[in-house]
Amino acid sequence: MKILQKFGILTVLAVMINLSACNMDSNYSSEFFCMDTPMSITAYGSNSENAVNEAKDKIIELDGLLAVDKKSSEVHILNRDKSLKGSKDIINLVKRSKEISEQTKGAFDITTSPLTELWGFRTYLQKKVPTENEINNALKSVSSNNIQINKDKITLENNASVDFGGIAKGYASGKVKEIFEKNNIQSGLISLGGNVRAIGKKPDGSNWTVGIADPDNTTEQIGVLSVNDTAVITSGGYQRNFTEKGKTYHHIIDPKSGYPADSGLKSVTVVSKDDTLADALSTALFVMGLEKAVDFFKGSGLDFGAVFITDNDEIFITDNLNNSFTAEKSFEVIAK
Amino acid sequence: MKNRVWIIIFSAVLLVCLGAWIFITNFNFSTNIVGIYQDNKLIKTIDLNSVTEETEIHLNSEKGENTILVSNGHIRMKSADCPDKVCVKHGDLVESGTPIICLPHKVIIQFENPQSDVDAVAGAK
Repeated sequence: MKILQKFGILTVLAVMINLSACNMDSNYSSEFFCMDTPMSITAYGSNSENAVNEAKDKIIELDGLLAVDKKSSEVHILNRDKSLKGSKDIINLVKRSKEISEQTKGAFDITTSPLTELWGFRTYLQKKVPTENEINNALKSVSSNNIQINKDKITLENNASVDFGGIAKGYASGKVKEIFEKNNIQSGLISLGGNVRAIGKKPDGSNWTVGIADPDNTTEQIGVLSVNDTAVITSGGYQRNFTEKGKTYHHIIDPKSGYPADSGLKSVTVVSKDDTLADALSTALFVMGLEKAVDFFKGSGLDFGAVFITDNDEIFITDNLNNSFTAEKSFEVIAK
Repeated sequence: MKNRVWIIIFSAVLLVCLGAWIFITNFNFSTNIVGIYQDNKLIKTIDLNSVTEETEIHLNSEKGENTILVSNGHIRMKSADCPDKVCVKHGDLVESGTPIICLPHKVIIQFENPQSDVDAVAGAK
């Protein structure tokens, strides 16, 4: 082959490599407020704009179904009428919520809605410590057994009411994942108010790095997870709380006591490919506390990993995260 | 003679490709531009490096009032009439951390091109 031809081929190859590098970085992002929280969705690849817009529309649609304060929402109508012929999404969510409630022996329960309202943990309410009497009254309707499903009809018994605050964002990120798959998006990153979902790997083939916020200083991270194709979802009492007479009360209510869970944990981060499970479990494990959460990890048979930060600032991780978690502080590994 | 011209052209294209490759893979798009969003809309961007004197930005909406304090290299929520004041307690916006968020008033302050060590931060909201 003549030297000129070889040189020509080399040049064409170089141009192609450059073009692929540009294409690799082609992405589309959207940032918006929904479900009372800031959200950001990024997709990489040629169909990224369509995928992100479709995902955003789906989240807005879910918010329209699940916002307790919107009079037109299905959850509002369900809580008002105690009966609803529901859409596919709300039926799926109720079924899943009941299932996880059973698996966690009630540590996760969507019927804590009256308690959340009583404590004022809604953006439109003033936060306050309720009286013991008020809490005991509200507790009477708290149990997932009060929710009945018959095909597409949901019925609430014993004056129960529900909200999906502990599971809706996980369900939503699972739906975004499905939309990305449909649009052939191989790489993307979703953050729905601190609930992170990694789609595939980064465009350069490396893992996504997801920091876990330091509960005492959210501008810092206590550790970093290197992940791909999984959800990373944290629950903690350090963001939504209030102080009254020197005592701080946070928004994660223990369905059994009616008070903010006092389980010795500052935060729980759950890693799972099942977004809905990850969201609900982060709340459930926080309510359980470390000891019961460890028993649950060992015995539930569910596929997830977790990072626990205790009130004493100790870090515990499950052994399936051993190769993906790094931290400047020392941490203890929980074997299955 | 003709070959020489082609070799010069190919060499030039190769050099441009090499330059572009180095630019794409190594150029640091570092910025100190901060965006202030209200109700999902970008209402202002500020280059924190170009701020010469301390300035207050007042945001008013039917949801409430926020006052943002900007100085050279720094931005924080000085005050807000929201119930929980999470945005005020957040302190200065830092690139490695989470955005400043006032949930009740739907205000977000964040770096436009954050140069963080991580791709995302999982945290309670």
